[in-house]
Amino acid sequence: MNPSRVRIAAEIGLSIALAAVLQLIAVWQLPQGGSYSLTMAPLFVIALLRGPSAGLTAGALYGVIDFLIKPYPPLHPAQWILDYPLAYALVGLAGFASLRWQRQAAEGRGASAFWTAIVPGVVLGALGRYASHVASGLVFFSSYAIDAGQAPLIYSLAYNSFVLVSAAACAAVLGAVMPQLHRLVSRQAT
Amino acid sequence: MRVPVAFGQYVPVDSPIHALDAKTKMGLVAAFTAGVFMVDGFPGLVVMALVVVAAVAVSRVPWRIAVRGVRALSFILAFTLLAHGLRWNPATVTLVRLGPLAVDGPGLVTGVFFAARIMLLVVGTSLLTLTTTPVQLTDGLERVMRPLEVVRFPAGEVAMMLTIALRFIPTTAAEAEKIVIAQTARGARFDEGGPIRRARAFVPVLVPLFINLFRRAEDLALAMESRCYRGGRGRTRLNASVMRPADWMTLAFATVVMIAVGVAL
Repeated sequence: MNPSRVRIAAEIGLSIALAAVLQLIAVWQLPQGGSYSLTMAPLFVIALLRGPSAGLTAGALYGVIDFLIKPYPPLHPAQWILDYPLAYALVGLAGFASLRWQRQAAEGRGASAFWTAIVPGVVLGALGRYASHVASGLVFFSSYAIDAGQAPLIYSLAYNSFVLVSAAACAAVLGAVMPQLHRLVSRQAT
Repeated sequence: MRVPVAFGQYVPVDSPIHALDAKTKMGLVAAFTAGVFMVDGFPGLVVMALVVVAAVAVSRVPWRIAVRGVRALSFILAFTLLAHGLRWNPATVTLVRLGPLAVDGPGLVTGVFFAARIMLLVVGTSLLTLTTTPVQLTDGLERVMRPLEVVRFPAGEVAMMLTIALRFIPTTAAEAEKIVIAQTARGARFDEGGPIRRARAFVPVLVPLFINLFRRAEDLALAMESRCYRGGRGRTRLNASVMRPADWMTLAFATVVMIAVGVAL
């Protein structure tokens, strides 16, 4: 039995709440002052379990909630879209690995699905978010007329690399969490 | 380990700006941002700065809190100033020279202009979240999106998801804190090893959190469906907020003034 639209809406709302809470827990404090959290994990979970449209919706709405909770005023209107709703919506691209994950998990091949479904999904979602943050950095440099050749792109790529570290940590966690969630969700569906 | 629930920045005081509808304030922020970007000289920035000073004074938000965002962006401000003001081995005459490094006069003026624009944007746009609660903002967002229902955009459902998220953040945070404490009492360590090992240390915390999430979603959906919830279309609110004449007048007046300043100065 497919879950109802209301059920998926409730799951998306609660995943956003969990992502917001995880955002507040720094897993690793970087030496230069930054930190990373597992905030993308619930967004990856909803994308892998419920598909790309649920993942993209959850991500976009999480972006809005993230801005409401920890507002970091954008320096250009396009930066708000690129850093909040769009960046997190692209995390939902992981949902394109959803069918593969569900097929393999149903066949009891959860361990191999880590490399064939979870990792590709996480890589797709993380690269989407990374690209959006990098584009936001480039918008900053161009809207403030800072002309420094290739430097803005290199700086923006380096500054936002925490997304990739955070995604690697999320993948490590999802490998342990997803098989258990698959069993729970399958039981609920019957 | 505590889970700090830093719920937005809302400053709960009584002021005419707090009393405005969320939709009005979103419109004001959009007009202000457009105006600041249209201004291309210092006189325009001075007028916009006076608008921001007046708005902060009327909002009764303490200055210390209103300018907090500027402190957070001090690195970007310094970067903007230096990127414009400093030149490496310039061919033309410059203000000050320190070996190959030189402070370029016109570049410095441009840097000050852009840094001032950043400060105005930060303080001006922060007023939205400082004077409006997240719930009011979500409600305002739903009403801004409502016309999109014509093209089948599920504005009501989107608002419901945002409302569920905001409602359950404190509950989820309390739950997370309890599980972290329980696992710590069993000897779990969250501060050892590299990034991946630390992340994996959170698995015993995340599994119960995710299981609770899916169980709660099932109960919530059942409760909503048994109360005949069928999506947001045609739903009414117990405490509906509406734009009063004062909201429309403020929005119209401020938009005209800010766009006029942007065009003229």
